[in-house]
Amino acid sequence: MSSVLQLATRTVRSTIVQVRGVATTMPRQIKEIQEKQENNVKIIEGVNVESPRANLMLKSACQTKFCPECTLGLDIKHTDVLILSQYVRSDGCMLPRRITGLCHRQQKKMGTLVTMAQKAGLMPNLAPEWSKRDPKKRFGWRKFNKYFLESTIKY
Amino acid sequence: MSIAKRVQQWATFARTWHIYDCTWQNPFESAKLVKSHLMGLQKPIYHPMNDCGDHVVLINTREIALPGDEWVKRVYFHHTGYPGGASWTLAWQLHEKDPTMVMKKAVYNSMRGNLQRRHTMQRLHLFADDQVPEEILQNVTNQIRTPRSIPQRLDHIDKETLENFPNIMDYPKDYILR
Repeated sequence: MSSVLQLATRTVRSTIVQVRGVATTMPRQIKEIQEKQENNVKIIEGVNVESPRANLMLKSACQTKFCPECTLGLDIKHTDVLILSQYVRSDGCMLPRRITGLCHRQQKKMGTLVTMAQKAGLMPNLAPEWSKRDPKKRFGWRKFNKYFLESTIKY
Repeated sequence: MSIAKRVQQWATFARTWHIYDCTWQNPFESAKLVKSHLMGLQKPIYHPMNDCGDHVVLINTREIALPGDEWVKRVYFHHTGYPGGASWTLAWQLHEKDPTMVMKKAVYNSMRGNLQRRHTMQRLHLFADDQVPEEILQNVTNQIRTPRSIPQRLDHIDKETLENFPNIMDYPKDYILR
């Protein structure tokens, strides 16, 4: 079917100047900003890329509304860095609710858990560029190990 | 006395050596555990007048963890005896000066103040890191189970686990990767 479509479009393209792209599936519009240096010229371009998480998605998480606690009943601690790091940008910023798709309460709770994990020094590689990365090099009392109790979360 | 009874006799009255790893442990939770082994509270022959306590070796006391902001909230008081001789030291400042002191004081303060306490503390051996002298380490026959598990850092998790871990959030269609 697709080969027939491609053939058809190719013939159309050869005859008409203005051609619209024909695709059978919805294209993913996720973009990555890439910087290139070429002979005193800096090229910054947004490249369409495949979502790196597309193949590893949990089946129940593919719904429009999904909260790990409301939907699956997961009890997430601040030490579960593999889960928490999915809601965080590469500079350690919490993603907004528009992107995470959590309910209001879970978004607040997840934000607190992420802060706890960062303060405990469990996600030092997800940090701003100026960060020293090593939690042992922090200033004053912050360089010592600390943990947090989930019962202190208000929400 | 049969052989089995003789072994039981030795096992009952010999001093056992325990080791306890303080990495990511709350010193005040661990002090309760360590204290019961030091005093021999877990033994059926325990009596306050019976000297049946064990030795405990505490390693990695530099790596203890306190909940929340307790490093700056917990204060150690000292008075020289002279007027104006009072001083208050924060827990993290004490820990910086002597990495075994917070743990030592936690165990000391978990016991009742009686004449036995100083002698019981003589059976406690504290080490800031895992460098324990050989003559102490060869006595050790038991490891005390730690109540808290050591949290895993994201940058220490191997690449295979990171890549194969199931995701619960996919980016929306108009997302710009950052």
